[in-house]
Amino acid sequence: MPSTLKLNAVAFISPQNHPILIRTFSKQDENTIKYHYIAHTSLDIIEERANMTGKLGDCYLGLLYSMEDVAVYGYITPLKVKIVLALALSDAVVKDVEVIMLFKAMHMAYYSAISNPFLRLESSMDSSIDQSPHILVGSPKWKNFRKRVDEIARTLGTS
Amino acid sequence: MTSRPSTSSLAPISLATLSDPPIKLIDGAAFDYFLIEMASTLRESAAFATARTKRIEAEMLEAGLIPAATPAVAQSMSKKTGGSAAGPRDSVTSLSSTRGGKSTSSSAAASAVDEEDEPLRARLETIGMHVGTCFAERLCAHRPPFDDTLEVMKFICKDVWVALFDKQVDNLRTNRRGMFQLSDALFKPIQRVSSYLGRGETIKKARLYATLPAGIIRGILATMGYSGTVVPEITSVPQCTLKVNIKLPKSEM
Repeated sequence: MPSTLKLNAVAFISPQNHPILIRTFSKQDENTIKYHYIAHTSLDIIEERANMTGKLGDCYLGLLYSMEDVAVYGYITPLKVKIVLALALSDAVVKDVEVIMLFKAMHMAYYSAISNPFLRLESSMDSSIDQSPHILVGSPKWKNFRKRVDEIARTLGTS
Repeated sequence: MTSRPSTSSLAPISLATLSDPPIKLIDGAAFDYFLIEMASTLRESAAFATARTKRIEAEMLEAGLIPAATPAVAQSMSKKTGGSAAGPRDSVTSLSSTRGGKSTSSSAAASAVDEEDEPLRARLETIGMHVGTCFAERLCAHRPPFDDTLEVMKFICKDVWVALFDKQVDNLRTNRRGMFQLSDALFKPIQRVSSYLGRGETIKKARLYATLPAGIIRGILATMGYSGTVVPEITSVPQCTLKVNIKLPKSEM
């Protein structure tokens, strides 16, 4: 049975709250900037939820909020990278399990991209994890990351 | 893509594969071989980079472009070598060489030898840090976030060590203020290190090979957001003690 989820956009945010990648999959181009705004507002809610659950926290943060036509889900990896998914709001029941699998696939894509040892060739030796590699997201080294994210969105659409 | 029965009823097969890829394993012996080869290759490469830096320094001194003040040289060094990976490391080398020259440490021979190995150690540690970062991402991908440094250390001692060396760390001690001590009676990377020059040489070589796992621990801590240092201490092969010193955030003190 085909999945009824329609992925509108995904956003990756670094532990220092810098955006890593914001990718949209919907057709209309003039509204894509609103997903930047959505990712921004999700940050506050994620922080609130993460501090609230305390010791018994889980990676999956569930439905954060819903706007006009999108439902926004959040996920925080153990290394504090936040993933925000915007799914098209629909009347069909959205299974948690599916959304969690989607998040895990996104996390794996991020992990594959970050494992590239040539990603941070120019950075200094004892820099703590800072945002300098992430600023170069538009560069060719991150192309595979974008391709993987697109592929995930495609498997969702065609299944 | 071969079809296989999906465990969850409604999720598509390809998404399931993507979300939880099978863990790839590698032969344990390969790790040992790679470590040996890496140490010798990096030593040569570090020596080459140091020689190049010294040559450039000498040329600039001759040309009178710079006074003998060496911190300035370090800055110009990193700018001159531009985007190459050796740039920042060159600056460390020239600084450490001047430090070795200026200080009147106990024995000049010891400082010279340390200085020689310093770039090699630095490279090994950086590689370890990168490996640690990726390892941490993969291993704790599907588990809840960590609460404090003790949890992180326990994760390192159990999961990471098992994934790397197929055994857990023998002993973990802490003083609850950011200092941890991991002791291993049979530390895999240095298990087979030996030298015909006797115990002193063996321990010196072993310390080098222990730098990579130390770097891995440091990388894992760095991705979690804790900055700290890891120092391996070896008194007799194959025992090893890793001293971890974490700078605690204020909330945990």
